[in-house]
Amino acid sequence: MIVADRLSKNFGSLTALTDVSFQVEPGEVLGFLGPNGAGKSTTLRILSGFLPPSSGKASIGDFDLLEDSLSARRLTGYLPEAFAAPPELRVEEYLRYRGRLRGLRAPQLRTRLEAVVGQLNLGPRLRQTFGTLSKGFRQRVGLADALLATPKALLLDEPFGGLDPLQRKEFRDLIRDLAKDGMAILFSSHVLPEVEELANRVLILHQGIARAVGTPAELSGHLNKCVGLRIRIQSSSRTFEEGLCALFPNISLETVSDTEWLLHDLEEASQKKLLAWLANRSEQVLEFSLVQPRLEDLFKSMVEGS
Amino acid sequence: MSAFLAQLRREVFSLFVTPSIYVLLGVWYFLNGLLFLYLLDYAPAVQADLRLLPQYFFGSGLLVWLLLPAFPPLITLRLLAEDYRLGTLEPLLSAPISDFAVVLAKYLGACIFFLLFWGGILLLFLLLDLHGATLDWPRVLCAFLGALLASFLFLATGLWASSWGGNLVLAAGGGAVLNYLLLFLPALMEQSPGFLGELFSAASIPKMLDQGFSAGLLDSYSLAFFLVLSCFFIFLTWLKLVSRRWVP
Repeated sequence: MIVADRLSKNFGSLTALTDVSFQVEPGEVLGFLGPNGAGKSTTLRILSGFLPPSSGKASIGDFDLLEDSLSARRLTGYLPEAFAAPPELRVEEYLRYRGRLRGLRAPQLRTRLEAVVGQLNLGPRLRQTFGTLSKGFRQRVGLADALLATPKALLLDEPFGGLDPLQRKEFRDLIRDLAKDGMAILFSSHVLPEVEELANRVLILHQGIARAVGTPAELSGHLNKCVGLRIRIQSSSRTFEEGLCALFPNISLETVSDTEWLLHDLEEASQKKLLAWLANRSEQVLEFSLVQPRLEDLFKSMVEGS
Repeated sequence: MSAFLAQLRREVFSLFVTPSIYVLLGVWYFLNGLLFLYLLDYAPAVQADLRLLPQYFFGSGLLVWLLLPAFPPLITLRLLAEDYRLGTLEPLLSAPISDFAVVLAKYLGACIFFLLFWGGILLLFLLLDLHGATLDWPRVLCAFLGALLASFLFLATGLWASSWGGNLVLAAGGGAVLNYLLLFLPALMEQSPGFLGELFSAASIPKMLDQGFSAGLLDSYSLAFFLVLSCFFIFLTWLKLVSRRWVP
């Protein structure tokens, strides 16, 4: 549904994007992860039809965004990062106007308006002007606008910005429901847990280059060599830590507390050696567990590595 | 087409709900009303020949020269500069509506609204007629058309100035400067010798209004002049908007 094929974008001498490619299928949620200035918003602006790419192709459905931008835009709902509407307009007036702009006729517009207002709990705010809304409700109006014409592709640029935890949860649930209904969803964020929780697949973008694409589990799998071991004993013991250091002099040992340690980069053979060593110790072991790598670790390693 | 109509409706509506524009409208009506009373009570030439009245309002009157170039940019500054400033341009231009339809809707919205400015003056003529004065209506309507065309040109330049960015002062000031230049530069330069003088003489808006439309002469050259120049500034506005799509 959403296709980016070797997208590049330059702003004068500044390169914002370099050869970024990905696809989002109907029913899929692709999370766009990257620090500020990574090129996330530029990619979304290209896919929304607001900006053209310097090279490469982008399409929504079967419509190329350069050759048939209007048809592509008809299939797309887009929530820009700093969404704004005319402050003097009431929420209902604004949504009616946007519906008409998207070609909805009166009966259909009424039905869709009722639906999105219900989905986003905007009912009590319909008579309020946009300028008097809180940031959270402004985001809701933006999302309502994006959803009004039942788009096949939804582009959300930092949709959780400025939302409180409850609103974030509501937004996440809604996005999941929309994906279940077959919508292709691309959202950007620099909040890792949100991406990890919501996205079927994640694309990590840094300095305009796609560093990795895959499911959160696949991406975490890239970090297998970084898997750590957590050991927790009942009471503190100085000799225990000294023993660990002596056993693995070349391995990074992280002291979490008097009774807890993390061992990084431990190979399987070393793990067995450690188990055997623990069996001969007098300390009572409360925990001996593998530390699973998280998306955050991959993100950090990529951003810091570049 | 429906997207264009939706945008046009939005533009007209947004102008109608802007309080500051009613202040402009009030000033416009007040000054023109004063001029109307003054001309009827204290101008013997007009009292003797009411056919001169349209000339003062739609042709070479002081208010036309002073206010007309300044007022349209105060209306058009909202059209694009406000969108830049508020950040509402991105949602608009990523909606399924072409850039040209956006520009045209904004321009026509301003033109429709500006009818209020001149419509009120026309009403004064109607009142005069109802009170028994004998007016040369074809001449009044011709002068009215000239004033409208000049206003629409000034709205087009104002729209272009509004597309320069999110600075409202620049949008209003830039538009007004352009309009005063369009109005006064030919008048100042038409005495130049040779081709330059002829060129500026042919581009003299006061002359077209005063000796053409206000005199009841519907000249195809003047019509084409205003239409082509208005289209030129609309085109420049579109060019500015669409330039973001140009691949560097």
